[in-house]
Amino acid sequence: MDWFNQHLLTCLVFVPLVWGLVSLAFPAQGEGARKLFFAWALVGSVIAFAISLVLLNQYDPHGAEFQFVEKAPWIVNLGIHYQLGLDGLSLWLVMLTTFLMPIVILASLLAVEEKFKGYFFLLLFLESGMLGAFVVTDIFLFYVFWEAMLIPMYFLIGVWGGKQRIYAAMKFFLYTMVGSLLMLVAIFYLSYQHKVQFGAFSTDILSLYKVQIPFAGFSSPQALLFLAFALAFAIKVPLFPLHTWLPDAHVQAPTSGSVILAGVLLKMGGYGFMRFAFPLFPQAVAYFQVTFLTLGSIAIIYGAFVAMVQPDIKKLVAYSSVSHMGYVIIGLFSLNAVGVTGAYYQMLNHGISTGGLFLLVGMIYERRHTREISDFGGITKVMPVFAVAFMIITLSSIALPGTNGFIGEFMILLGTWKANKAAAVVSGFGVIFGAIYMLWMFQRVMFGKVTHEANRHLKDLSIREMAVLAPLIVAVFAMGIFPMYFFNKLEPSIDRFIQRSAGAITFSSDVR
Amino acid sequence: MELKLIRPELLTMTAQELRALYPILILVIGSLLAIVLSVIKLLSPKFSVFFTTVLVSVAAGLVALDFFGAPPVPLFNHMMVVDPFSTFFTVLFVGALLVSCLVSFRYLDREKIQHPEYYILMLFSVIGMILMASSLDLIVLFIALELMSLSVYVLVGFRRADRRSNEAAIKYFILGSVASAILLYGAAILYGCTGTMNLAEILPILSRSPEVQGPLFVVGMWLVVVGFLFKVASVPFHMWMPDIYEGAPTPVTGFMTSGIKAAAFATFLRVLFSLGYGKAMTEAIQVNVHDLLWVIAVATMVVGNLIALTQTNLKRMLAYSSIAHTGYLMIGLLSGHKSEFGYAPIAMYLVGYSIMNLGAFALLSMVGGREDHGLNLQDFSGLGKREPWLAFAMSVFLFSMAGVPPTAGFVSKYFLLYGAVQAGEVPLVVIAVLCSAVSVYYYLRVLVYMYMKDPVGAPSGSRHSLWAGAALTAMVVLTLQVGIMPARLFEMARVALASF
Repeated sequence: MDWFNQHLLTCLVFVPLVWGLVSLAFPAQGEGARKLFFAWALVGSVIAFAISLVLLNQYDPHGAEFQFVEKAPWIVNLGIHYQLGLDGLSLWLVMLTTFLMPIVILASLLAVEEKFKGYFFLLLFLESGMLGAFVVTDIFLFYVFWEAMLIPMYFLIGVWGGKQRIYAAMKFFLYTMVGSLLMLVAIFYLSYQHKVQFGAFSTDILSLYKVQIPFAGFSSPQALLFLAFALAFAIKVPLFPLHTWLPDAHVQAPTSGSVILAGVLLKMGGYGFMRFAFPLFPQAVAYFQVTFLTLGSIAIIYGAFVAMVQPDIKKLVAYSSVSHMGYVIIGLFSLNAVGVTGAYYQMLNHGISTGGLFLLVGMIYERRHTREISDFGGITKVMPVFAVAFMIITLSSIALPGTNGFIGEFMILLGTWKANKAAAVVSGFGVIFGAIYMLWMFQRVMFGKVTHEANRHLKDLSIREMAVLAPLIVAVFAMGIFPMYFFNKLEPSIDRFIQRSAGAITFSSDVR
Repeated sequence: MELKLIRPELLTMTAQELRALYPILILVIGSLLAIVLSVIKLLSPKFSVFFTTVLVSVAAGLVALDFFGAPPVPLFNHMMVVDPFSTFFTVLFVGALLVSCLVSFRYLDREKIQHPEYYILMLFSVIGMILMASSLDLIVLFIALELMSLSVYVLVGFRRADRRSNEAAIKYFILGSVASAILLYGAAILYGCTGTMNLAEILPILSRSPEVQGPLFVVGMWLVVVGFLFKVASVPFHMWMPDIYEGAPTPVTGFMTSGIKAAAFATFLRVLFSLGYGKAMTEAIQVNVHDLLWVIAVATMVVGNLIALTQTNLKRMLAYSSIAHTGYLMIGLLSGHKSEFGYAPIAMYLVGYSIMNLGAFALLSMVGGREDHGLNLQDFSGLGKREPWLAFAMSVFLFSMAGVPPTAGFVSKYFLLYGAVQAGEVPLVVIAVLCSAVSVYYYLRVLVYMYMKDPVGAPSGSRHSLWAGAALTAMVVLTLQVGIMPARLFEMARVALASF
């Protein structure tokens, strides 16, 4: 027990993987295979969730630095250590991951028809990868997890995906790989600068924060390094114009893949900005602030417009992701506490609401095997419980006051207004467009007369499906009504983050 | 000739010198024993020679490993030296020999070419490789090179009934001889300039009297360098490689990608270093050599990766991928003198690269049908379903070649490119990572066929060789082990490279 308490993060990260590896030894054939692997994976993810609850409980809300720190030498000749730590920035994303994972597994009982062993193993593998990336405090180790995460996701899309799955999986992998390889070069440069300036190799994040990289305009080392990191993270977010892999990946991925992709993997980009790109290169951040605010605003408006005309519900939700993640970018680049907190909160919200939307789309797809909006209509009458759940998640997605989405977007707009009024105005319109495309879609799918015979006898949600959606709905309201509970544990870390990243920003007097 | 001219220290050997020679002695005795055994029909040469080779390679490997780290032992009047560098590579060569032998056993049965000469030739060529890595003299180096090459020419053409194999052997022989001739000519010119054949003496001469580095020296040096560029198959001297890799028996191809490539690079490194690269060359020559190698490295990476994109035969694809990896290795070669790591990443990369290639070719020999049919992409359709373990092993190797963590390929590339960044070669590294992003496409395409397409035909049902299976498993384990715990290997590479 003592060992467990000292290695909470290690347990958290590796329990899903080890749990999954054990399942590889089970016989894969026979009637019970589906249920066996399903139950095993569900238990594994619940254990991970339980461990994360222990972490949440023991987390000291006043600390701004890493807690539960673990450190062991790894590749000593390069100053690489196996080190883990948890601060406010990682805490809630870890919670989001462990919270979504059991839901995803619960939702995928009937999602796949074959290769259950591989499917559930990959989900657990993926969970380990994501948790690892959130809690490591060594940039080499981060890169390892960041890349290793691609492998299960690649297979989830490519093996269990839709018709164009191979194309989508390949595109997903290649996009991410290009970005991260350039980041790798930047990591080399950075850790070598540490050696030059402090006399020892190091890949520890906190030591790297101290490295001074000269900045003098666009082609200076700091700006280029920032761009290399930003490219990797912007692809992951994804930020316009690097978003084109996302609709393909989302639409072709199985429901579980889409939920994890939207719920957690995209957050990896935002987290990367907060953990690495910003604090490492504060002057470059200030230099590129307007550029990224512009791109973020374009993403919001562009994503909303494209979403509006999609005939396919899943694609609509995918483009809404582009739009919503644009808020995260402008919130982060507003570089003040309100905006950044809002952006962080928006990442959690997006995980809950978009994850929920993908689950709902998946449920209706399992019944009708189509996702075309025009194939539906009047579903409210046939599936009342589904309609209620869909409504709540939709409202959360369009940021109705009282739901989680409102808090996030409001704070982002507030923060952005302080930093750049034009960006705030433009993205303010995004909120309206968001309401338009979501509600219009909702109206066409759920209201009106039942136009298709096939829709007349759709079964309403089963108990299992209600169990899938219930935690999300609870989270929507909990986060909408009691945001302070979340902010309390976040605040010291955000302040520290601002301190590190915004040093080079000169605020006009009316802002401070 | 008077008696006093005979220097007694040349005729005797200290215990340490004998110990240093053990790996080579064991291999030589083993190959002689194998020749004898191959004519004793009573003992079934097939088994006796195979087991002799396996035992000998294990013994030589263990002895070499035991000797690793000992101070350099010059031998035979400084004609060769057994230092950590050569010992490091000895272990690598012997490992390649062992794996290739284990894989070949069933393969040769299938191809109906189970002749004991096969193993004996492999032993000879490994002796050649070891001598290459330990030679300090351009003559010895050349002889060792020929010993290795001639054995391999025969091995490449070992499937006598197959026209592609014959074609490959002839091509390899002719082109390889040309390269050897160029190398030899260069060596002769260098002797003319410096007055010595000894690599250890050339460097001091060059630093003591830079005026030696006249036009003649440059010509000689470039001829030697071109000879090696040919052996490591870098663009524009790569044309021979794909045909030969495709035509050779699959285990021999695996042996070539690991053993020959490592031997060529190890010797290239020693010679380039001895010619004063980064150390004693005059400014103008240094810049010249660096820039040309830079261009060649970029061309090698780009051409290798781009052509590999269009290949549908796995052996050919891996041949082009091997060219691409040569390009990455060239980066280490041209930047090593300025980085903190020195040339150590090259040694490490060669180990990582050998492990994954030996594994991949072991797998191809197991999966392929008679006469090496069934090695096209379509033949891998649904392998994940038919042979889950083989498919898993292949995925590990492919991810490793693509440089995805946590594999040997990733850490090797990490150290190599990190070293290059330290040397200030950032643009080169950026090109390298972009090329390796391209390479991800063709490596992953194999995975697409294995896991995302439906199986074609019925499962073959043939049982795989236990020996090959063991070798394959070992390579998977090593790929992951090096990938997760690279520190030890890197330290060994460092010790190896510290010796010159």
